Amino acid sequence: MDIRKNSGVVKWTLIVLCSSFLVVFLILPLIYIVVTALRSGFQAYWNSITDEYAIKAALLTIEAMVCAVVINTIFGICAAWTLTKYQFRGKKTISTLIDLPVTVSPIIAGLIFVLTFGRQSFLFPFLDRFGIQIIFAVPGIILATVFVTFPFISREIIPALAAQGTDEEEAAAQMGANMFTIFRKVTYPHIKWALLYGVVLCSARAMGEFGAVSVLSGHLRGKTNTLPLYIELLYQGYDFNGAFAASSVLVLLSVVILALRMWLEKRGAKEIDVRK
Amino acid sequence: MSMENKRYYLELRGVNKKYGNFQASRNVNIQIEKGRLVALLGASGSGKTTILRIIAGLESPESGEILIDGKLVNNTPGSERGVGFVFQSYALFRYMTVYDNIAFGLRVKKKPRNYIDDRVHELLKLIDCEGLEKRYPNQLSGGQRQRVAFARALAPNPQLLLLDEPFAAIDAKIRLELRAWLREMITNLQITSIFVTHDQDEAIEVADEIIVMNHGEIEQTGSPRELYSHPQTPFVAQFIGASTPVENYQRFRFFQSLGDDTTAILRPEFVSVFKKGENKKYTESAEEGVVEDVIFRGSNLEIRVRIHGVVLSGNRGINDPVVEIGEKVDVFVYRFLVVDGKKIVRLDNSSLREESIII
Ligand SMILES: Nc1ncnc2c1ncn2[C@@H]1O[C@H](COP(=O)(O)OP(=O)(O)O)[C@@H](O)[C@H]1O
Ligand SMILES: [Mg+2]
Repeated sequence: MDIRKNSGVVKWTLIVLCSSFLVVFLILPLIYIVVTALRSGFQAYWNSITDEYAIKAALLTIEAMVCAVVINTIFGICAAWTLTKYQFRGKKTISTLIDLPVTVSPIIAGLIFVLTFGRQSFLFPFLDRFGIQIIFAVPGIILATVFVTFPFISREIIPALAAQGTDEEEAAAQMGANMFTIFRKVTYPHIKWALLYGVVLCSARAMGEFGAVSVLSGHLRGKTNTLPLYIELLYQGYDFNGAFAASSVLVLLSVVILALRMWLEKRGAKEIDVRK
Repeated sequence: MSMENKRYYLELRGVNKKYGNFQASRNVNIQIEKGRLVALLGASGSGKTTILRIIAGLESPESGEILIDGKLVNNTPGSERGVGFVFQSYALFRYMTVYDNIAFGLRVKKKPRNYIDDRVHELLKLIDCEGLEKRYPNQLSGGQRQRVAFARALAPNPQLLLLDEPFAAIDAKIRLELRAWLREMITNLQITSIFVTHDQDEAIEVADEIIVMNHGEIEQTGSPRELYSHPQTPFVAQFIGASTPVENYQRFRFFQSLGDDTTAILRPEFVSVFKKGENKKYTESAEEGVVEDVIFRGSNLEIRVRIHGVVLSGNRGINDPVVEIGEKVDVFVYRFLVVDGKKIVRLDNSSLREESIII
């Protein structure tokens, strides 16, 4: 059978199957969200999304997302650099550990942090003395978000760095460039697109995080509620209009990120074409 | 001539380098005078790159001293040793233009903008790449890339230039051209240079002096001519120039034995092949052999001839009378290089004692 043949029952069956799958599981729910959000009229929708708590939740979500991106970018670059430019024992172990957050259920991750920083932890008196509150507070939410998005950026950069090797850096160092210059002028151009792509993935994941954040948040309205938690809260309270209105905001953010991702993939592919 | 008083631009004294358990350099001693063009010759894996990297400050040796211009530089960062390095794969910055590549070292050293601009254009002219400054490395030919790497290394005015297999990545056709170009360039600039190669022809053709390396050790240092005619170790005798091993040189007439466990190496230049009665002078001392093969070598003919159970190679001119395969001929051997343990002894044909033969 010629796989590439353009006609054929199999091909069209598969296309129809995939499309209906996407429509049923993706497009319909998204339309439903928007329709439900607008059911009681645009004014009600507008009131819902400009609600004080909704705005606070959205801001907290963005705050956690920005923190996760910044921290994971710094960590990701350091980890990728270490794993690709140096030879040492335990390299495999570190590489495996970085992936751990993806395999651990977010709920478990949340519980781990509660155990580590909560009242029953040996660290608690210490943190308490300095007035640092992690559990049921914003730092806990950020911590949880950072944890679940941990590998996203480093995983994108590592292949790009590994493919490049170390001789350009060596050449630069031999001419007297310092680490910072070497990174900025030599290494960064190689990983730019991979890094941006990782940032996009990290943002998307950070925005939607529910499980780990839910455990650590304490659901204090206006204080420790992120958008997903806020939506859940409204939904549990039978405020469907409000829940779907808030959801539509999250959906909009996702669409923006999806668009960014597509643009990055296109730009990145183009540039790699030119420089390789 | 007193060696002690001589001032060397680069000196390595007793340098040792290990990678884990692997000894990559063993007691390496190198002395290079200012302005020389030196080849570091050896098979792949013999530790040539390691030596260059040690000189450039990219690796530090376990023991031994590195002196540049009389100063100990073991603890001087590579960038302050006045060394330019052309990497084996050039290591050009792929995301920088030719201009930025060449300017990199000058910018790092915070040179004024005008100076950088003048210097880059001067170098572009030198390497015959004017007009290419806006290109990226992948938009250049192999030869152009090599020349840009050369210019990048030269930009900060190094006193010592190190080139790691500069011709390895280039097609055979333009390689010859580039060799000549590089030699001329370095001679004109009068910059002390070391280039690494595994190709003996390249080393002989380009270098003033050759350092032969084997298993991380230096076997011999000398001019191409010295290495060729006075090899000091069996490795050098076999590595430089064409050679045929001869186990039983003792059976040849007019060669006394230097011991039963010694063998010999023979170069084609040491062998003359004559038609019977063609040459009166050597008829007396020549021995009879049988032609096994005649190979056309462009400017001469290689005659493979069997004698005393071994097949030797000798040369004959294109215009000399033709010898046929199977023909009985007179074979005269001038000299053997006898391998005596780790030494090489030149053993001349004793019938020539009164005459001096120049090869
Ligand atoms: N960073 C390294 N780690 C371990 N072994 C190395 C390293 N660099 C080189 N070697 C080993 O040292 C030996 C000499 O290497 P090198 O100096 O690159 O040889 P050459 O340039 O003559 O081919 C080789 O056997 C190589 O495998
Ligand atoms: Mg090498």
